[in-house]
Amino acid sequence: MSTALQSKTSTPAKGGDSRSAPPGRQTPSAGSGARRRTRTGWLFASPALLVVTVVTVFPVVFSLALSFAEVRLDYGGLRLGSPTFAHYEALLSNPEWYHALAFTLGFTIVSVLLELVLGTLAALVLERLGAARGWLIALLLLPWALINVVAAQLWSYLFNGTYGAVSWLCEQVLGTQPDILGRPVPAMAAMVVVDVWKTTPFVAIVVLAGLMLISAEVYEAAEIDGAGPWTTFWRVTLPQLKPIVAIAVLFRILQAFGIFDLPFVLTQGGPGTATQSVAMLGYRILFQDLDFGGGAAVAVSTAAIVMACCLLFLRVLRAQTDEEVRG
Amino acid sequence: MTLHRRTVLAGVGSAVAAGLASGCGGRDVDDLVAQAATTPKKPARLTWWVSEIPSRRGAVVADLIIRAFERRHPNVRISKINALSTSDGNRSAIATQLAGGSPQPDVYLGDTTWPTQFGRAALALPVNELLPDGFWDAYPEALRRSSTYRGTAYAVPFFLDSTYLFYRKDLLAKHGLRVPRSWEELLHTSRTVQRAGDTAAGFLWQAAVTESLTANVTEFLADAGGTVLDERGRAALSGAAAERAFSLMAEFTTSGVTPRTVTTYEESDSQDAFVNGRGLFLRNWSYAWVNSSTPNVSRVAGKVGVALRPGFEGTGRRGVSCAGGWSNFVNPSSQQLGTAMEFARFCAGEEVQRLLAREAGVIPAMTSVLHGREARAAGDPTVLRAADLHLVARPVQTPHYPQVSKALYTPANAVVGGDLSPAAGVRAAQDGLRKALEGKAL
Repeated sequence: MSTALQSKTSTPAKGGDSRSAPPGRQTPSAGSGARRRTRTGWLFASPALLVVTVVTVFPVVFSLALSFAEVRLDYGGLRLGSPTFAHYEALLSNPEWYHALAFTLGFTIVSVLLELVLGTLAALVLERLGAARGWLIALLLLPWALINVVAAQLWSYLFNGTYGAVSWLCEQVLGTQPDILGRPVPAMAAMVVVDVWKTTPFVAIVVLAGLMLISAEVYEAAEIDGAGPWTTFWRVTLPQLKPIVAIAVLFRILQAFGIFDLPFVLTQGGPGTATQSVAMLGYRILFQDLDFGGGAAVAVSTAAIVMACCLLFLRVLRAQTDEEVRG
Repeated sequence: MTLHRRTVLAGVGSAVAAGLASGCGGRDVDDLVAQAATTPKKPARLTWWVSEIPSRRGAVVADLIIRAFERRHPNVRISKINALSTSDGNRSAIATQLAGGSPQPDVYLGDTTWPTQFGRAALALPVNELLPDGFWDAYPEALRRSSTYRGTAYAVPFFLDSTYLFYRKDLLAKHGLRVPRSWEELLHTSRTVQRAGDTAAGFLWQAAVTESLTANVTEFLADAGGTVLDERGRAALSGAAAERAFSLMAEFTTSGVTPRTVTTYEESDSQDAFVNGRGLFLRNWSYAWVNSSTPNVSRVAGKVGVALRPGFEGTGRRGVSCAGGWSNFVNPSSQQLGTAMEFARFCAGEEVQRLLAREAGVIPAMTSVLHGREARAAGDPTVLRAADLHLVARPVQTPHYPQVSKALYTPANAVVGGDLSPAAGVRAAQDGLRKALEGKAL
């Protein structure tokens, strides 16, 4: 990116005249043409910009305003009072928010890691398959295609302590019926299992696309150099996959951090508050307690944290890539 | 015309500012009540947000009520908006709509736990001045209390829901056991039938981390002579009564009378287990009678009996039930306030209450109807025994009810699951209640 920018700015002005207009400045006729083009561009883009403003910018700004103001509902409607940090103070002084944050972070790290490993393995297998690949991809995509709430409800039946198939199976094998969703650690594990089952296909398909883009010549060169399958994977395949894996991980971090439907259907955040994610906490504060300021504070703080996580991840990845390029 | 970035940003800023200010309409509540006090004669269209009302004979009860109202008010047409059947989901959906200032629905059916919260948030019209003198004399006192916040009523009664002990008549008869009158007796009876291998579980109830558990805790506390909040809305959960209630909840699971999975049970889970023949006793709301005695949905149809909930030995108190149910609320943003209020009053009136006794699988809110001909003819034991109940209100007299509820169900769930001792559970609940009432809980 930086290389491309440098080459653009170092290109001499048209005609190679050192006294001509500096880069970015045009002659009067060229300038009016550029202005016309800009104006036309803005005119064409304005409907889309208006839609983006209404559906994206306004909600974001409104949430920010709600989170930093005294909010009250009266018969005149929703009113924003004087500015305050009270909603954030309430969050930061409450252990429940830290617990929800810790659970969400833990869930995100564990589930994304597992999905990455399993998804990559599945993609490697799929890449080597011939005729059956199409069918297997279709089968693999089934969980991903299921609506989240439906998938969560399906698993809640499987985990159900009274008539669930998983509970029955455990009883047959272990001789005792486990209380999967009623105990903190098994409930968290169950949520990770469902998420991995549901989302690994997405990672697998993305990684498979990356694998198919790697040129066969690279593998041939590695083979000629005497690299075995293990070395080829670590030294050739994985580095080439890094950009596409980064995209998959970014998507997954964003999704996993906002996890709501799984705990909502599977555990209602329980037992206790063991599986209460920050999204669920926000839902409770906003829609059950009708505390609009507090709910907005949860939403804004979560968005800030997840953005920070993503930026950090991108920075680490870029640093690694730059190092490899230099190396 | 040149569009600069600054111009665009200014435009966005103006749009946002206009949006932020849009909610401030400046309506006066007295004006709204004055509008609601008169029922206009001109044609009107109303919308009614209503979840499915259990039916005794297959009729759509809401449609029967709408037709009855339209017969009396030929100029009015009412459309239904089908609401969710779960209280929490319903609350989220309707609260979002009302907070946005939507004029629809004009009337909405809401849980009896909502009035304080909805009244405080101005999502329901105050109805004190719109009800005739002596109106509340016709309804249970617990219903008046739960409909009122700081002396103002925000809901108009519709139907009640009460809790009972459902039991397997056939299994008790087989073992020559009577319906237990105390929790101690219920534990003994359950163990006897479980040991014989005739039932997997003794007692099924609800201990998931939801408001269902709050209702159970409130009832167990009342059984032991305790309460969550006192008359003035201050925390009152303490002492021997609280310990006794929490100890009983723990004993259900430690003794094996209740399966450990009860910590994930809501009403439907416990009912599913019971109608599939996995339990001897079930604590549930009155609608469970229709569901457990209907042959095509219940394996134990014809084998189920209904009794009042037991109490603790030595207290002389039994038949405690949370005052549940659904009431009608009027949307303060409705364009038809007078007609909406007339419809809410109509639903609370004798004609609809008798219709409910005849057709619906719910308990009419009007006390006199419970003793009437329709109730007797329906033969529903939950309706016939409703007058014997000792109704208690959940701790809804605080606008922080959701936080209060969470302060109860979170430690209670841990006590039932064995993660907290009953004494520690009581202490955690006290601490949570204090924070909730101070407005410091999330």
